[in-house]
Amino acid sequence: MKVLLVDDEEKFALMLAKRLELRGIQTAVFFSGEQALATVQQGDRFDVAILDVKMPGIGGIELKQRLVQLDERMKFVFLTGHGSTIDNTAAVQEAENYLPKPLQIDVLIEALNRLTEEP
Amino acid sequence: MDNAKELFGYDSLAFFGKVSASISHELKNVMAIISETAGLLGDLSDMAATGKPIAPDMLRNCTDSIVEEIQRGFSTIRQMNRFAHSVDTPVVSVNLMETLDLTINLSEYLSTSGKTDLSPCEGFTPIALTCPFLLQAIFYETLVYTFKHTGPGTEISISIQPTDGSAWRITFSGFNFSEFHVFPDVITKALAASIGVIIYADSTADQLGMDVPITIESLMVHPVSPDIPNMGNASSTRA
Repeated sequence: MKVLLVDDEEKFALMLAKRLELRGIQTAVFFSGEQALATVQQGDRFDVAILDVKMPGIGGIELKQRLVQLDERMKFVFLTGHGSTIDNTAAVQEAENYLPKPLQIDVLIEALNRLTEEP
Repeated sequence: MDNAKELFGYDSLAFFGKVSASISHELKNVMAIISETAGLLGDLSDMAATGKPIAPDMLRNCTDSIVEEIQRGFSTIRQMNRFAHSVDTPVVSVNLMETLDLTINLSEYLSTSGKTDLSPCEGFTPIALTCPFLLQAIFYETLVYTFKHTGPGTEISISIQPTDGSAWRITFSGFNFSEFHVFPDVITKALAASIGVIIYADSTADQLGMDVPITIESLMVHPVSPDIPNMGNASSTRA
């Protein structure tokens, strides 16, 4: 499984990526939506994108909309530290899965497996 | 100042909520990093239990990260405490440098935040008798609006200078003012007017300026118009 992880909280992203790698999940980490978009535009492909909702510049929701245009097969998981109703509603509408921070790794792994097993 | 408590209306409550939400988001990020780091330590422990070698550097990185995030959390809580106490006394003598410093720290919790450079005051201490909470709200909205329209790469320069003995002039610069044709918004304008702060727009110099009265009691003598004068016409518009 190949995962695109995008979060402006660099330490969080690196720790999570390490944990995913230890579980055999190939993870590419980016700290901004712009960087992630550029790598997919250049042809890199991922099974699932894990996106933080709130980021400077391109946020997670807009990033998903633009990534889908480049690869319609890509699946999405949203992460957010915000608890506002607006964020929750937007995330639920835009992503197959929405996970609040701090997250539980087992829940994330389960979501990733479910998404990649879907036809 | 018996009417001072009336300064706090819905808009100031909304500001309090907005800042509290950004602080809680910051603390949630701190907790998320500590949680992931603790999780990684757990993963490494599981690996060690099966006989796999664990690099000492990896363990050191994890413990260093936890210590750093705890310090970051403490720092955030200190700012939260300063902010919470800013409503204790509606009107009080404040050092504008300290008020700006706190507001800058609070604005840094926003994802749209950029950099700021607060110039030190040389040879004077900018003390004003004012409402610190509302002054924070005005500074905060100014920074938020600036960053929102100029992007996270912007560095805003802020300086304080004495004027004619009745006010301190605070100048925000380092951005293209054409983005600010709608600033200050109605709410910020009303907040400023309520404590006698006059916001100047100088499009030719790409600056926002604010005159903060040295004493809020001047409000009683000179009612403040909520209209925003242009900096170039400042002398003719300030009675």
